[in-house]
Amino acid sequence: MTVKTIDQPGTLVEQARDLKEANEPAISQGNLVLAGVGGQGIIMASNIISLACLESGLDVKKSEVHGMSQRGGTVVSHVRFGHEVHSVMLEPKQAEWIIALEWEEGLRFLEYLKPGGVAFMSTERRIPPTAFADRLGGKIDYALGAGVPRGVVPVDTYAVAGEAAAERPVIAQTVLLGALSVDMGLSQETWREAIAATVPPKAVQANLIAFENGRTWYERWKKTTGSKLGSSVKANDIQQPEGVSPGVSLGGSSNGPSASASASVKDWRGGAPRIEVIRDWCKGCNICVIVCPERVLSLDRFDIVVASKPDRCTACGLCARLCPDMAIEIWVDTPAHVGTGGE
Amino acid sequence: MSTVMDTDTAVHGAAGGSVAITGKEKRLLRHAMMPHMLCPGCGHGIVLDAMLSVLSERYEDLDNVAFVAGIGCSSRIIGYIDACTLHTAHGRPLSFATGLKLARPDLTVVVITGDGDGLSIGGNHLIHAARRNVDLTCVLLNNEIYGMTGGQAAPTTVLGAYTSTTPLGNTQHPFDAAELAKAAGATFVARSQSYRPQVFGELFSQALDHVGFSFLEVMSDCTEYFGRTNRFGEGADMLMGQARYEPSIDADLARIPTVEPVTIKQPVRPVLPIGVLHRSSRLTLEETLGIEGGRSSGVADGKLDDAVQRMDG
Repeated sequence: MTVKTIDQPGTLVEQARDLKEANEPAISQGNLVLAGVGGQGIIMASNIISLACLESGLDVKKSEVHGMSQRGGTVVSHVRFGHEVHSVMLEPKQAEWIIALEWEEGLRFLEYLKPGGVAFMSTERRIPPTAFADRLGGKIDYALGAGVPRGVVPVDTYAVAGEAAAERPVIAQTVLLGALSVDMGLSQETWREAIAATVPPKAVQANLIAFENGRTWYERWKKTTGSKLGSSVKANDIQQPEGVSPGVSLGGSSNGPSASASASVKDWRGGAPRIEVIRDWCKGCNICVIVCPERVLSLDRFDIVVASKPDRCTACGLCARLCPDMAIEIWVDTPAHVGTGGE
Repeated sequence: MSTVMDTDTAVHGAAGGSVAITGKEKRLLRHAMMPHMLCPGCGHGIVLDAMLSVLSERYEDLDNVAFVAGIGCSSRIIGYIDACTLHTAHGRPLSFATGLKLARPDLTVVVITGDGDGLSIGGNHLIHAARRNVDLTCVLLNNEIYGMTGGQAAPTTVLGAYTSTTPLGNTQHPFDAAELAKAAGATFVARSQSYRPQVFGELFSQALDHVGFSFLEVMSDCTEYFGRTNRFGEGADMLMGQARYEPSIDADLARIPTVEPVTIKQPVRPVLPIGVLHRSSRLTLEETLGIEGGRSSGVADGKLDDAVQRMDG
């Protein structure tokens, strides 16, 4: 079998149909949700799954939301496969599997899990600097979900991947695909070819090792702890973080949620924020440029920060708080109702 | 304290209807000294920034706040705060601060020290100040290296880390500064990161409120020496890296069997809890000495008499 690319869907589908009789996969249809934060490889993982399904003679539809992924924003991808798939999107409680490359994102999208489904969730957590106040004191200002919800398989991806991820940590996420492959039932060879065709050539070997480690780990995990989980997920057992609506980021185009969010912030603050940069104090360390979720800031040719896209600013204040040189301050107008304690 | 401002006034009451999003007003900064001498991307600057935000919220002016510091990059940051500042001998800020507090118990005394200054050269002074429970706040900025003197290994340098004195990797176990202070008798022990300035702000505020020896360790970054010799990237990379190896939901996941932890080739900072780690109540040194004018630790008077009697006896 040769590795094909997604660029030729017509031929692929035809070939896939031919292959179907010869190589009937153990599973004929299924739905997946992949979630994580920008830069973890969610899109690549969903590409690998799609390719593996195509190679096994299944029809696949995939959709993704990655517009909010700027430096740690949420990324979600839906993958549906079967003999013939019509719709690309999933509704809550339809996914047989959830692959979460970040723990919190996994919790957010857990409502998509079908009763009896399995969620492979990396225990890696990327908490934004402003998200909580005191971890040990218990004053976390958003719900983490106490414990491990039923149906969830927590995977310490770095530990499972081992040496494979020592050079490039992002490879650790491939162990989730390895674990998934045990349950999905496509042939191992198909998975390996899909990985080899998708990841950069120099990372193929490490990814395959991580994949194998994930497979071995999950098989062992199923024998030891797994029997209690898996088939007994009820909707009520899944704990949803309060105040988070997982469907929101899936609703519109990539620009939609971002625009509405900034508009609401500006309404509440009563006017556009003003970015003040003290050029003499800036040392060009680039921290503000990296942490800004809206990419408002950039360095000029003197390595000094400038607000190149000031209209995008939502006044989150990360740049001002994390500037070691105190060179940035964000000024916002006080609307009347804030001063009087309205909201 | 009479100088404490209402938080709402400080944040929302600025003139012109425009407020700074961080709540920090630069009036507490010594403008003539700026820009400061810290390297680009140094975590100490973020801590100074967050500290000024807290101080702006709490105090109208810093006439009754004294900052004491020793020697090192961390200690240099007091030079930029427009308060009563005392730049002292290497490792001895806590000794100077103890004397200052006993002479002027009405002052709020804050000691800024570093991991070399506070744990190595001044290690003895730290444990004894904690033991005596002097009513002051000690902020230890831990960047795991001697930054100012050229990147030598510090007592907090993690195993395997490369420094100018450990070119083959550090072979000595590091201190856990917060545990040390707790064991020595500090009545308030907390840890924060420069990655989380708001967490630092809240903990610093709590430490100032606490009566007794309050110890706050801040994990900070040295970009020029620690970051460069260990190839941790630039300031932004190191800052993001602070959160990368944080524990997940450890208490619940401990029962999940995994493979053996890998030996990572690069030295990484061990996973350290942040937040308030210890809080207790004990008589302060001022109370046991019978010095008037300080804050009361709230421990019953009877115990005070007992303690003084024991001391006399």
